[in-house]
Amino acid sequence: MITTRVIAVRIVIPPTNRTNKVKSSITRRKLISLTGKALAGFVSLATARKAKGAVRKFMVKTPAPKGYDPTKHKWLMAFDIEQCIGCGMCVQACELENKVPPGPTYFRTWIERYVIKRRKPGSSRARGETQVDSPSGGINGFPPTSVPREEILKSFYVPKLCNLCVDSPCVQACPVGATFDAPDGVVLVDPNYCIGCGFCIQACPYGCRFMHPETGTAEKCTLCYHRITRSLLPACVEVCPTEARIFGDLKNPVDDDPLMQFIEKNKVQTLKPHLGTSPRVLYAGMDKEVR
Amino acid sequence: MMSAYEIPATDVLPQVEGYIYPNELNLLWGDLIVLYPYITGLVAGAFILASLVRVFKVKALEPTYRLALLTSLAFLLAAPLPLLFHLGHPERSLQVMITPHLSSPMAIFGFVYAWYLMAVLLLELWFDYRKDFVLWSRYTTGPKRWLYLIFTLGVTDISEESLKYDARLCNIVTIIGIPSAFLLHGYVGFIFGSVKANPWWGNVLMPIIFIFSAIVSGIALCLFLFMIISQARRLKMDMDCLDVTAKFLFYTLIIAAAIESLDWIHRLYEAEESIHIIKTLATGKLFVSIVVIQAFLGSAVPLVLLGLIQIFKKDIAARAREWIYFLSSVLILIGVLAMRWNVVIGGQLFSKSLRGFTTYKMELAMASHEGFTMSFALVLLILPFVILWVFLKLFMPVEEPGPKGEPLTRAETSA
Amino acid sequence: MARKNGIPPQLVRLVLVTLAIIALYFTARYFMTPETFGQFGFYRGASLNEHATRPLSFAGKESCRNCHEEALQLVSQFEHKTLSCETCHGPAMSHVIDPETPLVKIEDGSCLRCHRSDPSRPSWLAQISLDDHYESDSCTDCHTPHQPNE
Repeated sequence: MITTRVIAVRIVIPPTNRTNKVKSSITRRKLISLTGKALAGFVSLATARKAKGAVRKFMVKTPAPKGYDPTKHKWLMAFDIEQCIGCGMCVQACELENKVPPGPTYFRTWIERYVIKRRKPGSSRARGETQVDSPSGGINGFPPTSVPREEILKSFYVPKLCNLCVDSPCVQACPVGATFDAPDGVVLVDPNYCIGCGFCIQACPYGCRFMHPETGTAEKCTLCYHRITRSLLPACVEVCPTEARIFGDLKNPVDDDPLMQFIEKNKVQTLKPHLGTSPRVLYAGMDKEVR
Repeated sequence: MMSAYEIPATDVLPQVEGYIYPNELNLLWGDLIVLYPYITGLVAGAFILASLVRVFKVKALEPTYRLALLTSLAFLLAAPLPLLFHLGHPERSLQVMITPHLSSPMAIFGFVYAWYLMAVLLLELWFDYRKDFVLWSRYTTGPKRWLYLIFTLGVTDISEESLKYDARLCNIVTIIGIPSAFLLHGYVGFIFGSVKANPWWGNVLMPIIFIFSAIVSGIALCLFLFMIISQARRLKMDMDCLDVTAKFLFYTLIIAAAIESLDWIHRLYEAEESIHIIKTLATGKLFVSIVVIQAFLGSAVPLVLLGLIQIFKKDIAARAREWIYFLSSVLILIGVLAMRWNVVIGGQLFSKSLRGFTTYKMELAMASHEGFTMSFALVLLILPFVILWVFLKLFMPVEEPGPKGEPLTRAETSA
Repeated sequence: MARKNGIPPQLVRLVLVTLAIIALYFTARYFMTPETFGQFGFYRGASLNEHATRPLSFAGKESCRNCHEEALQLVSQFEHKTLSCETCHGPAMSHVIDPETPLVKIEDGSCLRCHRSDPSRPSWLAQISLDDHYESDSCTDCHTPHQPNE
């Protein structure tokens, strides 16, 4: 290894016996070449190589993925709003599986409850006002709504998580390449490389990211990357009692693939399409009030 | 009996009105990020004032030239600190330059900063000061002498010919510097203006608003400092210089106020989806900081005061003009700080679901993390003034070492 | 000396300083760029594996089948067939590794979390109002969770 380095260095060093046309610039040339030599010498030193190894070791802890080829998958999640019963098992499972920090804030996935009231007599609108809540992200389920039953025109639950945008504003915003679209369609944060500037959190239109209070890095849904790479379902999908969350691999559909059936059967929508983020996460049966 | 089963009642979070996404509860960017565009703006503004002298040859402003450049440098040195300390991992900050993700406006920070510091400010100062460094290093002793010697970078040639080069190169640097100053602050505006997720920020006018408010604040700061320093050094107030600086301040303030009004008119007229929440915010939680401080005290009052002086200059006594300039510059400085506050904090007070608000609490106590940053922000705001004080001691001494030289005037050599 | 060529000495000095800074930058870049950076895109490729190797809490339905085939068979014939074992029994990875580790205790609340009457829930879901539906002390006195229709 060291010899290769020296050979490579030799190519870099400019020949010193070159005739100098301009006498006055000899010193300058010499200086430059000396600097080059010093630099090259420094690079080829064993200590420098060790230093580089240490720097890299500090930044990289495990080798590249084995067994699982990220280029051979394309994961996707979809939601059937008609199926969601607001039990919040998914939020709880996410917290247990991913050690999401506790509290009324910090969620990788959460459930929103929409209550659309009946229109007031004489109002020109078809429906009354919309009330949204998500007590502790729905992690304990939902207490009865404060709106009296007779005033409710329509009410439903909407699960939320990272929208897996094709044109992710968060990835665009990251200054160091610490958040990225993995080849398998998952948007991930590299907690060992994130500088914790929070720009991705500001850039996400869906509020799907947060700053981890202990690690000081951005965090978000990973689609349970450690599970899907082991052929398991994401924790939220695993525990969903009603199959409101549909998960699959677009590149490797199984027999009667629920995701393929969902895409075929439903008219679907995405969140905030006007922002041009092209979310890959699909919603069936969504109301216009959902933002 | 059924075992008691109750879902905990909805946590009514006192800091929330309406609905916000659960992850939006705590404000991510606090007062440190308010400070960052403020300080950077002062850098760019002070530099523009200096270039009025060098490129546009505004003779009356010459006494402010070196002060403006040194102010610019002092604030530039302090500018990255609030950014650095707000990071979750400050020790990883160099990655912004090692692996810059070029689609991110923030990744450009390292390069824009380095360019502005080394290719513009330090160069211009060096060319302007080279002769003085050489001379001062001859007439001083001890560590000061060594300092000046190091600053010469070993070039002691101060022949007429070589000083001519200095002047010419300095002019080139300044000409490059003007677009660089616009770039430096326009880019800060772009960091906010490019966030399409946030309707308060995501706005094509944002970089331009930032540039002009930066110029206004920088000129106001130099006016303020010039008066303070003249007073402190018991010099006769150079009224000609003050009048011209105030005139430029007035003109740039007109542009800044006009563009910002245009922004609001445009928002209100287009009345997009987000207008309701923005209106509620501006007339509610942000009323004091946006309407009272930023628009009225920070823009309208100085506009009227400075405008009146432009019309009735001859009728107003010098002493009164001095006070009006002083008051206006202070008001403008506070107004621009309020503007940064309204952008940074205001933009995070409402939910991206456009359905509710959260609250930002500043605490002076050291107990909480926020409290820590608040006290810290104060330190960081004072820091550039301390740096400037050191600079003034070193580079604008009351009595220049050596046989000749007048305090607070440019060295003739660089003219 | 330099002036003869028309290059002022201060410019020469600045060019040298600039070159030194640029050299410093590229040296730093060489040493500090992580090894797998750029393997798949503009990020550390090793990060994928770091995410993939995190520990599990939920074992998945198939892990349960190894020992509890009968129970799974039974559930699959009734309304609760869409449920995962771990929906009610909680994360089971520690139980898979060591069967002695108990699973979470199931209470009536577990049933009500899904089946309490709620206007926001879809009408196809079986829901009860506690006031009307109060025949016994516990849900399981009348209902068997694995065969809810019975």
